[in-house]
Amino acid sequence: MNKFAEVSVLLEKLCSAKGVSGAENGAADVAAELLGRYMPVKIDTLGSVTGTTGEGDVHILLDAHLDQIGLIVTAVDETGFLKVAKCGGADIRVLAAAEVTVHGKKDVFGVITSTPPHLSKPEDSSKAKGFDEIAVDIGMKREDAIKIVSPGDRITFNGGFSKLLGNRVASPSIDDRAGVAAILRCLEMLEGKELNCRLSVMFSVQEETGGSGAQTGAFSAAADEAIAVDVSFAAAPGISGEKYASLGGGTMTGYAPSLDYEMSRRLSDIAEKKNIPAQPEVMGGKTGTNCDEIQISGRGVKTALLSIPLRNMHTAVEVCDLEDIENTAKLMAEYILERGGANA
Amino acid sequence: MLEMIKELCTLPGISGRENAVRDYIIDKIKDYAEYSIDPLGNLLVFKKGKNSAKNKVMLDAHMDEVGLIITAITSEGFLRFAKVGGIDSRVMLGRPVRVGEKAINGVIGIKPVHLVEKSQEADIPKADDLYIDIGAKSKEEAAEYVRLGDAAWFDSDFVEFGDGFIKAKALDDRAGCAILIELIRSELEYDTWFSFSVQEEIGTRGAQTSAFTIAPDYAIVVETTTAADISGVKDEQRVCICGEGGAVSFMDRRTVYSRELFDKAFEVAKEKNILCQPKTLVAGGNDAGAIHKSRGGVKTLTVSVPCRYLHSPGCVIKYADAVESMKLIGALAEEFAKW
Repeated sequence: MNKFAEVSVLLEKLCSAKGVSGAENGAADVAAELLGRYMPVKIDTLGSVTGTTGEGDVHILLDAHLDQIGLIVTAVDETGFLKVAKCGGADIRVLAAAEVTVHGKKDVFGVITSTPPHLSKPEDSSKAKGFDEIAVDIGMKREDAIKIVSPGDRITFNGGFSKLLGNRVASPSIDDRAGVAAILRCLEMLEGKELNCRLSVMFSVQEETGGSGAQTGAFSAAADEAIAVDVSFAAAPGISGEKYASLGGGTMTGYAPSLDYEMSRRLSDIAEKKNIPAQPEVMGGKTGTNCDEIQISGRGVKTALLSIPLRNMHTAVEVCDLEDIENTAKLMAEYILERGGANA
Repeated sequence: MLEMIKELCTLPGISGRENAVRDYIIDKIKDYAEYSIDPLGNLLVFKKGKNSAKNKVMLDAHMDEVGLIITAITSEGFLRFAKVGGIDSRVMLGRPVRVGEKAINGVIGIKPVHLVEKSQEADIPKADDLYIDIGAKSKEEAAEYVRLGDAAWFDSDFVEFGDGFIKAKALDDRAGCAILIELIRSELEYDTWFSFSVQEEIGTRGAQTSAFTIAPDYAIVVETTTAADISGVKDEQRVCICGEGGAVSFMDRRTVYSRELFDKAFEVAKEKNILCQPKTLVAGGNDAGAIHKSRGGVKTLTVSVPCRYLHSPGCVIKYADAVESMKLIGALAEEFAKW
């Protein structure tokens, strides 16, 4: 475990920060402080945390998204319960009885309503309730609730950072704080290495609501090449190991028509050469990640995707293997050294 | 009592594995009363009062909570389980759990919604398809930490929030246990018997034998019951309401209660200025189902602390209701003892 102590501490710090799409401030503060150790940091117009360092012939951009999925308050009802909607792709099957934090004028604890088995028909339990049938219970009467909570306030899912066996951990918002952690670990690995390239980093906002942060951030960076780090599906019961990644099996190197084939190949080749565990992830069109926005920003950017295998995506118990984050960081660092190192 | 509720709820104790809860209770009452443990594991307590009682009164609260039991380890190292007690699968998906004697961390996994067909986005997986992920890479690694038959329980902390509310797992029925402990530790007017019962959640098995052994004339079951006083639920469908005191049952799925005792509860509450309310829906069932049929029959009443989201990792009660319930139960126990 010691081998992964640094990345564990880093990921826990990042995951405990809050930042639902469009309200990433909490996570941005933490990420900005961490990135500031390696380069000057700016917060751009939409709120993305960006930084640039070095000079050279090639300009490489590393991206991971800062935002996490959550809920947004739409109304405080007459009984003081909060009506809510999705902010990002929250999974309605995991909402019943979930514990949440409502980020109002102050943070308040809440529980999402559910019907106990005594009162529901057996057939009801096979379907999750829709947003019209659920609400958040903050244990307050309306007159007290409206003093603290307003429509538009974001809600995050509670859940600690818990260690499973081996190097595996469970937490909310590993999507995509694991990506942020991988980039920070990569920068740490590059410390003291002579680089002959311009290196930009962006921790982008609003990926879960469509990628506005990456689109605008990539335009401003105007890099030649970009690597986005996100999470992707790991095999588990009911999720085929032939089709999806193996947790702990290494970073997933993306192949897709929308990704730059040469970059993808180069990443796979470096992984093989340097003995870094990696597994290909092949997609038939776009990738469903920030790559889709980065690629077509400005005059266009050659883009590659590295994904960290994840279980239970978009729940409060996302599970990843720290080793995969570390290997993602290693591969990125080796790529940067090959493309933009002193001898490149 | 708040501190005791907190400590009791945090302890693991699914049906049949109530040891930790029983040990805690013994520690709290051993200086105040006599106790014994019956063959099933019920904790039977006799508390000497200032006077001997005309009628033998037994107060019952169950120690067990709903949870899971490990039934298999898959070849990839995931754990399969059966539900212990009535749990809706919808409150289990994506939840953290603790497993086995080492209380290791696990999570109940779910296929990411991205991989589910749009038309099936609201479909809840079948209970048989659910699994716990403890992070093991193989069956062998999992077997180092978990044995078949091990218990698993929700990993849920104790939180005070809002206007005097608390959230925890297992408030059903550790809230009842805390009320009984508090009464045992107080000075009682009459001799009183107590049963901290096992295995309520799988069919009121413990109370059946403890009621036989104690052989009471009257019994009060101290429980939690469904409070559906939530957004979108109206009138009697709310069952009972947080903040309006203990809920007194006239009928549930296991028991038709003595009208005489039901009326007495409201009479005593009024006289002593204690908040209480009727449970307004025939739903659920509890140890009263076993106790009222014990031996030649026992006059039985249930007083419950209203509890939202019962049988989920995040049960919610209003603490003031536990206090009001305790007052009512204490007063009724005296009434029944001399009736």
